[in-house]
Amino acid sequence: MKAFYAGMRGWLLQRATALYLLGFVICFSLRGLLTPPASFEAWRAWMLSPGPRLATLLFFVAVALHAWIGLRDIALDYVKPFALRLAVLAAVAGGLAATLGWAALTLSS
Amino acid sequence: MRLSIFRYNPETDSRPHMQDYEVTPAPGDRMLLDVLERIRTLDDSLAYRRSCREGVCGSDAMNINGGNGLACITPIAGLKEPVVLRPLPSFPVIRDLVVDMTRFFEHYHAIRPYLIRHDPPPEREYLQSPQEREQLDGLYECILCACCTSECPSAWWNPERFLGPAALLQACRFIVDSRDQATDERLEQLDDAYKLFRCRVIMNCTHVCPKGLNPAAAIERIRQAMLRRGL
Repeated sequence: MKAFYAGMRGWLLQRATALYLLGFVICFSLRGLLTPPASFEAWRAWMLSPGPRLATLLFFVAVALHAWIGLRDIALDYVKPFALRLAVLAAVAGGLAATLGWAALTLSS
Repeated sequence: MRLSIFRYNPETDSRPHMQDYEVTPAPGDRMLLDVLERIRTLDDSLAYRRSCREGVCGSDAMNINGGNGLACITPIAGLKEPVVLRPLPSFPVIRDLVVDMTRFFEHYHAIRPYLIRHDPPPEREYLQSPQEREQLDGLYECILCACCTSECPSAWWNPERFLGPAALLQACRFIVDSRDQATDERLEQLDDAYKLFRCRVIMNCTHVCPKGLNPAAAIERIRQAMLRRGL
């Protein structure tokens, strides 16, 4: 087994997170369609049970990683001046980190 | 036959322009290169590359009515008139339809396009099974005309660091060659954010290849080889 480097790591991570996102959307949609919650409180209680809570947290982690690789690729392709690219990547990282933090806070409440 | 041809002579022109020509093809003129040769008998200042005139050398690659191709294997029958000829997009123009291919060949040389062996050479030839030889089909036929790289948007965006479909197809040709012993080094060399992974699978390369090759599939084979090596 050999190490993956920057190119393959990003490519693999983007595909792995895409698979997780797809699985999450399918599972949660099926759950909602097949056994719809009786009320908001019932849905909230189910979402905050350990399994769905962890899965949802991982969903947001996957979204952040997937979006980071995609947006980083766009920046590498289109944003050529180094300072501007750094600013764009910092803004993207900040936005994704804030989204992830907000999701984690919501799920921990 | 009417043609509109990109003209630029850096010694006399301040900017490029399109020049119209009207020429009557002779009965034996079947390919676009035949017509260009006929135009050159009328206007010997027109510059373009040509050599084998049968789709083997790749010299006369140019942009024909908006798509890249080889003039020598492009039939004039069916070409929409006026036939608009431009140099390969994204390549620096030296003069008229002649482009500077320095960077293209730098990328080609960067993939080390030759067999690398660590063992001592055999007394006679390197042997390959028919199955091992088949792995090279669709790869060794590349004539390095640059039609693919010139039409690749990823190569337009990152011309210095993305190797481009032609060089990557050639890289694949040596990665899958059973006689080569530098597969790991080759894969490691390509595994960064730019050399290979700027490919967005747009597939202009496959659409435009005048030899009918599939550089996008070759790039995918390299990714799979990297994945197998890592796992």
